[in-house]
Amino acid sequence: MPRHFELELDQLRTMLIRMGSLVEEQIELSVKAILESNPSIAQIVIERDRKVDEFDNEIDKQCMRVFALTQPVAIDLRLLMAALKINSDLERIGDIAVNLAERVEPLSAYGNFVKSTSLGPMAAAAREMVKQAIDAFVNSDVELAKKVLQSDDRVDTMDREMFALMLKTMKEDPKVIEPAAHVMILSRHIERLADHATNIAEDVVFLVNAKIIKHQAEG
Amino acid sequence: MHPIRNNGYKIQSKDLTIYYGDRKALNGISMQIPEHKVTAIIGPSGCGKSTFLRSLNRMNDLIEDFRAEGEVMVDGINVYDSRVDVVELRKKVGMIFQKSNPFPKSIYENIAYGPRINGVRDKGRLDEIVEKSLRRAALWDEVKDDLRKSGLALSGGQQQRLCIARALAVDPEILLMDEPASALDPIATAKIEELIHELKENYTIVIVTHNMQQAARVSDYTAFLYMGELVEFDETKKIFTNPSMKQTEDYITGRFG
Repeated sequence: MPRHFELELDQLRTMLIRMGSLVEEQIELSVKAILESNPSIAQIVIERDRKVDEFDNEIDKQCMRVFALTQPVAIDLRLLMAALKINSDLERIGDIAVNLAERVEPLSAYGNFVKSTSLGPMAAAAREMVKQAIDAFVNSDVELAKKVLQSDDRVDTMDREMFALMLKTMKEDPKVIEPAAHVMILSRHIERLADHATNIAEDVVFLVNAKIIKHQAEG
Repeated sequence: MHPIRNNGYKIQSKDLTIYYGDRKALNGISMQIPEHKVTAIIGPSGCGKSTFLRSLNRMNDLIEDFRAEGEVMVDGINVYDSRVDVVELRKKVGMIFQKSNPFPKSIYENIAYGPRINGVRDKGRLDEIVEKSLRRAALWDEVKDDLRKSGLALSGGQQQRLCIARALAVDPEILLMDEPASALDPIATAKIEELIHELKENYTIVIVTHNMQQAARVSDYTAFLYMGELVEFDETKKIFTNPSMKQTEDYITGRFG
């Protein structure tokens, strides 16, 4: 039996997918802006965050509408719960892209220093996690979601190593304190990107298997 | 009948198959219904849920060409055993129907009727039973000042609670409810649901409902029947968040049925 509310669920899925690809691009551009010291790309990211916020509101509204009008259960209930949570993770990812973009300006005089760090590979790893988490959601792919969960440790390690390295660099050469401090914060932002990707991956496992795995919960 | 505890199961059907003439209405249903819990039976029209419910106190006996195979154990005794006294069984296993059916008598007489038939003559004792039953059915406060009023003068929701009180008056252990709120408005429905919640402390309740949200709200366990078969039986919270069977999921999410 075709159900009118299946259309509403499809719309919701489509909005999440579009929002996902938008924030993926936001990360890509903000990282590019940093590595290329390009303030005009940074500006694009900052301005486009409005679109991310619009998706956030629309998806919340759509979820509320479906909850109120259809009293969803089982797979539908899990989809809506996952959608609400994935939505807020994507919105936060969008905010982090803005945070990254906002550091392009203060770092513009230190292009070579930034390029000499491992921010590039670290950002690529985090971006890949976000991409895979979104793909896992689109395809209800638990295996891919689990891969994302496993990748988080690697990005955490990169962040810790970056922190230690910057600390050491600052001690050795006080002239680089300013860019090194910025890089530390950028590294932390990127680590947070990976955390949000992890949250999304956990929601995908919940959606498909009805298992709550966050905070190492069982069942 | 002597109460025998069966690991907390008040009712156990074992391979219960029911025929109406040539038609098989239930096919090998084995279900264990826990004591002092609410078990909801859901499924599309004609799936056999009312047949199952009515088999628990042999209300199907009167239907022509009715035939049952297998067992329905209530407190460890097969209700289809020829030695079972059906009147005694129905005292123990009360029933509430979709359409409230008070006797055309006063509120008091509606409740006192059953106990009187069972030999209670003492006026004080009858008064006590009437009050206790009406209280348990959450109707006492609304009718206590006018127990002589006709049961038929009550509102639909009150009539249904009167029928519940009437069922409680003979001190049953199990209450079978066949769509008890489907003819009621949302407020009366909410009262019945609240009542079911209170009653399970003292009674084992089995409810048939077409209203999935109602099953989700009132029951501890849910059985999904489809075309005479038991597709899934599990805790209600499991059925409505993560059913094991695809057919159950399709039904409760409205994808078929």
